Amino acid sequence: MSTPSTTALPDGGLRSPGAGLITLDPVHTALLRGLDDLLTGLAARLSAPEVLGPPLLSVEGLARLDFFRNFPHLGVSAGRFDADALDGLAAGETPGELGLRPTGHLLPSATCYGLLLSLEGRDVGEDGLRLSATGRCFRNETHYDGLRRLWGFHMREVLYLGTKQGAVEHLEQGAEFIRQAAASLGLELSRAVADDPFYDKGGSRAKLMALDPVKHEFSAPDGTAIASVNRHRNFFGERLDIRAGSEGPAYSACVAFGVERWVHAMILTHGSPEQALDRLREARLRGVDG
Amino acid sequence: MERIAAWLHEKNPGLDGPIDTDEDLIEARLIDSMDFLEFIDLLEELSGTSIDLQEVTIDDFRTLGRVQERFLSTAG
Repeated sequence: MSTPSTTALPDGGLRSPGAGLITLDPVHTALLRGLDDLLTGLAARLSAPEVLGPPLLSVEGLARLDFFRNFPHLGVSAGRFDADALDGLAAGETPGELGLRPTGHLLPSATCYGLLLSLEGRDVGEDGLRLSATGRCFRNETHYDGLRRLWGFHMREVLYLGTKQGAVEHLEQGAEFIRQAAASLGLELSRAVADDPFYDKGGSRAKLMALDPVKHEFSAPDGTAIASVNRHRNFFGERLDIRAGSEGPAYSACVAFGVERWVHAMILTHGSPEQALDRLREARLRGVDG
Repeated sequence: MERIAAWLHEKNPGLDGPIDTDEDLIEARLIDSMDFLEFIDLLEELSGTSIDLQEVTIDDFRTLGRVQERFLSTAG
């Protein structure tokens, strides 16, 4: 018996299932997994345990986080077919013409929502809590663009809840890690104040954000933002009654990585997926600190 | 300043006692981001002048002391 050799993809590679949707081939998949592993170094550095968030979020929970006030256009809903449509579907009717019923759940648009909602009513103590997770996130967009803008993508986040000062330090450590990770991968990033994609760009929240930015992004030379540092003040702590011991409602902050966008930036910088993978392997041997 | 203190207490029913003049209203979210423009409207009404958000910084709104000095001082 001989060992099977790696199966080659057919000519033409793997088809895209539709706009904003991509099946990653083996090299791109190795890049995505390897980059996510490397970015997990931030969680290790901050002793943030790895968790896995829920695959769906309740509409009721998201409403309490003002998700619909801020981002009604982004939400990708989980629906199920009406019971009276099932016979027709089973008989071969076209699914697109049949009604969907809401389930009261959305696919996550960011990894941290599910983690935050899981901490409702908890006390994280004055020493605070850090959690790390990668989740597949989904956002309706007006256009899609390769790995830069997908309908569904992987977002790694390292979330902190605790004191006001702890949140500041978390983001300082996160920003330093992003700089070191980029340097180890040969990526040139620029940091700038960023907007969240608020639906109401002239609204109160957007106006305050313009005066007091709570989000900074790190972008590749073509303008693709691949990482961000975000502070929430004590908003989630108050809304979800998450306390930090005697400090009252917890302050929170997160460091986020769009993993497909790191793949994009690596290919952009190093010329081809194969060269990007070689560079990633070198970086992982040296380590982010190296 | 009484109107401003009353507005802050109305928005934060759980708040006990007076608000220190150096308390960080923004970071502690005593002025919630969704209420920020309402706070600007209140300041405009009290000061009798319009506030151009291009010409202010967040620190102008950060504490009661600074708000008093920046928008409600009658000097000059």
